[in-house]
Amino acid sequence: MDSPDKNPSVLAGQTAHPTTESAVASAAAPELIGLVTHEDVDRARDRWEVARARWTGRTKKFGGFRLLWLLVGPGVLVFLGENDAPSMLSYSADGSRYGVGFFIPFVVLTFIMGFIVQEMTVRLGAVTHRGHAELIFDRFGKFWGFFAMGDLVFGNFLTLVTEFIGVRAGLGFFGVRPPVAVGGALVIVVAAITTGRYWTWERITLSLAIFNGLFIPAAILARPDWHAVGHAMLTWTPFPGGNRYEILLLILATIGATVTPWMLFFQQSAVVDKGMQPRDISAGRFDTFLGALLASVFAIAAILATVPLFHHGINAADFQAAQFAEALEPLIGHTGAALFALGIFEAGIVAAIAISTSSAYAFGEVLQTGHSLNRPLREAWPFYLTLFGSASAAAALVLIPHFPLEFVVLTVNVIAVLAMPPALAFLLLLVNDPEVMGEHVNGFWGNVAGVTVTILLICAGLGFGLATVFPKLLGG
Amino acid sequence: MSSHYADVPENQGALAPVDVKSEQLSLQDPRAVLSMLEADQMVAAKRRTHFGRKNLSFGAKALLWGLRVYVVAMLIIVLITVYQAVHVGR
Repeated sequence: MDSPDKNPSVLAGQTAHPTTESAVASAAAPELIGLVTHEDVDRARDRWEVARARWTGRTKKFGGFRLLWLLVGPGVLVFLGENDAPSMLSYSADGSRYGVGFFIPFVVLTFIMGFIVQEMTVRLGAVTHRGHAELIFDRFGKFWGFFAMGDLVFGNFLTLVTEFIGVRAGLGFFGVRPPVAVGGALVIVVAAITTGRYWTWERITLSLAIFNGLFIPAAILARPDWHAVGHAMLTWTPFPGGNRYEILLLILATIGATVTPWMLFFQQSAVVDKGMQPRDISAGRFDTFLGALLASVFAIAAILATVPLFHHGINAADFQAAQFAEALEPLIGHTGAALFALGIFEAGIVAAIAISTSSAYAFGEVLQTGHSLNRPLREAWPFYLTLFGSASAAAALVLIPHFPLEFVVLTVNVIAVLAMPPALAFLLLLVNDPEVMGEHVNGFWGNVAGVTVTILLICAGLGFGLATVFPKLLGG
Repeated sequence: MSSHYADVPENQGALAPVDVKSEQLSLQDPRAVLSMLEADQMVAAKRRTHFGRKNLSFGAKALLWGLRVYVVAMLIIVLITVYQAVHVGR
């Protein structure tokens, strides 16, 4: 049982739902005045800028753009972060093995699913000012909390390894040796987190993330058949043919490229660290929509960039990042292949930053130590140590000779899909909890959408399981 | 309410409203910091108050256990698949 000191709401017989109270109005206000921290000051500075932009937005033409500029961040980062190395390789596998067809609209559908799920984390973060891990531990207790953390830590670490595989493979195309590529990526991750300021970290990471768009010129150089793209978007055809088990695996990997547990934990914690409040929820929705839109366009670009491999009958079944770029070089030219390789490198590095930060946030929330990028190193060293430690361990694994890199890349997205339903169950329980969400509790259609996504993911996982255990079901 | 005071957090009580028209905000004054944040956004407040434990219904517990079994079963299948793939590869 929680101690009364830790959980005054239990004693008071009511849940701490602080969102409707202000610091000044609450009884604790006089004490809080003497307890302002560095983190509070940085967050207040960000809120001050938002308050000014909101006022300017009402009085000046185009003033609203500054408000959006200030509030955009976690949503774009989470979706471009999830367009990571294994995801871009999954999209490339879609394009190279099945061409333009079913997977183009399917990718759009997965991003719609991603938006539905991530929007809930925006509301949770803005209303409660608590991270996802902290809320799960508070509301459901340690038993379920450690299960959720176990899924997150396991999935995050495997995914982090694949990000450094992407970095290594992407730069390998340019002849950069693996230790230099991986070490350089680690330096970038560290440089981003040592700013001691969430805002600076967010802007640095966003400026890196926008290079996910490198797949667009690569796709243009592949000269896509836009008529076929339009036809595929409208009809979801041609449906992929051939080995049904492989198609099912690729469908699972494509879903796993868009909706994963780390995204829930990351975006909610980032919304909290950014200091977003309930009045920012609509801007947070826009941020999430923008992220989903950009990421889906870049994902489709990755599919289109590799379609020439399909047309030339090149078997890309076991291709890794550098092999994709090398195989594409004679078909779309050196520039196109180089853009593709750079895109994989960028995807790996941005995701490495976002995923290691997601792990660090969750650890900090569970251990109840400082867990904010607004905190200086000396105040939140366990947070930064987790962040740096997880990134370093993943980077080191990639450099071990004969480490089964392909095995990790192949399984990571599938594991993400399998781990997602329990994470979604916690999310849906939280956003339907009036004591947590107050007036921002999930509506009917929000629940319909959330439950539909969960059921779809469970069906996809069960389909994979049944097809594996009973291969004859798919005619294998 | 004057428009340039309109965007400070509601229910500010004794705190002076922050003038969003001014170019600078002195965050040396902790009251200015408090005026920009909601009560539970303060680090100290978050340390002191936690959401209480929710009593899960039978249905919710059954759902969480069912999904836990699902994940473990699926992970075993993934491990078998990987083992088979590596074995065939050799």
